[in-house]
Amino acid sequence: MRAKTLIVAATVAALAGAAGLSPGRIASAAADDVASPEEVVSKVWAASRFLNEKGASGIASFNSKDGPWVWKDSYVFVYDCRLDRMVAHPLRPDLVGRPVMQITDNNGKLIFKDLCKAGGGKRGGWVEYLWTKPGAGSVSRKISYALGADIAFSTGIQVAAGVYDDKASAADLAKLTDKMADPAKYPAH
Amino acid sequence: MADQKLGNPAVVGLAGFGLTTMVLQFHNVGWMGIGPVVWLGLIFGGFAQMVAGLQEMKTGNNFGYCAFTAYGCFWIALALLLIGNHYNLYVSSKSDIGWFLIAWTLFTAILWVGAMRISSALALTFTLLLGGFILLDLAHFGFPELTVVAGYELMACAAMAWYIMAHLIFADVFGRDVLPVGKPWLRAPAAPVSALKVAGAKA
Repeated sequence: MRAKTLIVAATVAALAGAAGLSPGRIASAAADDVASPEEVVSKVWAASRFLNEKGASGIASFNSKDGPWVWKDSYVFVYDCRLDRMVAHPLRPDLVGRPVMQITDNNGKLIFKDLCKAGGGKRGGWVEYLWTKPGAGSVSRKISYALGADIAFSTGIQVAAGVYDDKASAADLAKLTDKMADPAKYPAH
Repeated sequence: MADQKLGNPAVVGLAGFGLTTMVLQFHNVGWMGIGPVVWLGLIFGGFAQMVAGLQEMKTGNNFGYCAFTAYGCFWIALALLLIGNHYNLYVSSKSDIGWFLIAWTLFTAILWVGAMRISSALALTFTLLLGGFILLDLAHFGFPELTVVAGYELMACAAMAWYIMAHLIFADVFGRDVLPVGKPWLRAPAAPVSALKVAGAKA
């Protein structure tokens, strides 16, 4: 009986621990409903690492709008630059499995061509374009961080997420990303 | 009963090896998802090839006994590994799978030498298999784009396995060797005359 109680307690503790470690929980000083660039970088890094660990079986969780990859007003989407298709998208199931390279924003920018180019670098990169904000009717300026995901028996997969922001520039956000990636670039005080 | 004709387990082993290898490459080059690889890996490449391998024991063919049983187990292990990843059972990362493949590369290198003593077709199959494993090893450690190269290369390997399967089946049903497998790449050195004389004297 005691052993059984212990097992139950251990399971509860393990589940609580797992929940605490899930990528869905990121402390932030930003407003409650607006994702920050730091959150975007953390989520995209976590997503890339998650797919590296889990392989193809990890893809499905990116199609869930209630999953860990959707938060505040942002979300992680997964696409294949080699095969030209959307692999997973939590809010646009209509795009999943479809070609992406021809998708343009209202300014005629080839969004995924630029994302693939930016995400191809070692630390990924930022791309600005126009996209519909979740829950909004019209398009907003979106600036997204793209990064490759190294998956067993696959090549060319990238993950990305973005912030809806009228001011932030790709160059500033690249500096932010470098700072986050390199402890030496953090100010000492 | 003693005169009853027995089938050659290799026809099933080569069929399962070839088909499952082929389907994994269809995934590796991006034509399809991983789902069918998992189920075929368990049943045809795995279970059927492993049973064929175990049946090789009674034919006295140690090469087939080892190769089919081992590659049958490879497919079962790979399928369970992919299923395990889905259910968070001992999750295998890309580099974990890379090390798994490296071990199989080393094992394949041993059988590759043995295959060169059997026939040209088998030597070519194992050369392609070893090359494919090496490409996949590199793909899992820093050169992901080689996954696609390995994909096409291993399709040729799978086709070679089917060629040997067809050689065995067609020879049986047509009553003559329709698809020859060729001489071994490594042949027995001609025995010196003196050795033959000694052997003859003893007999």
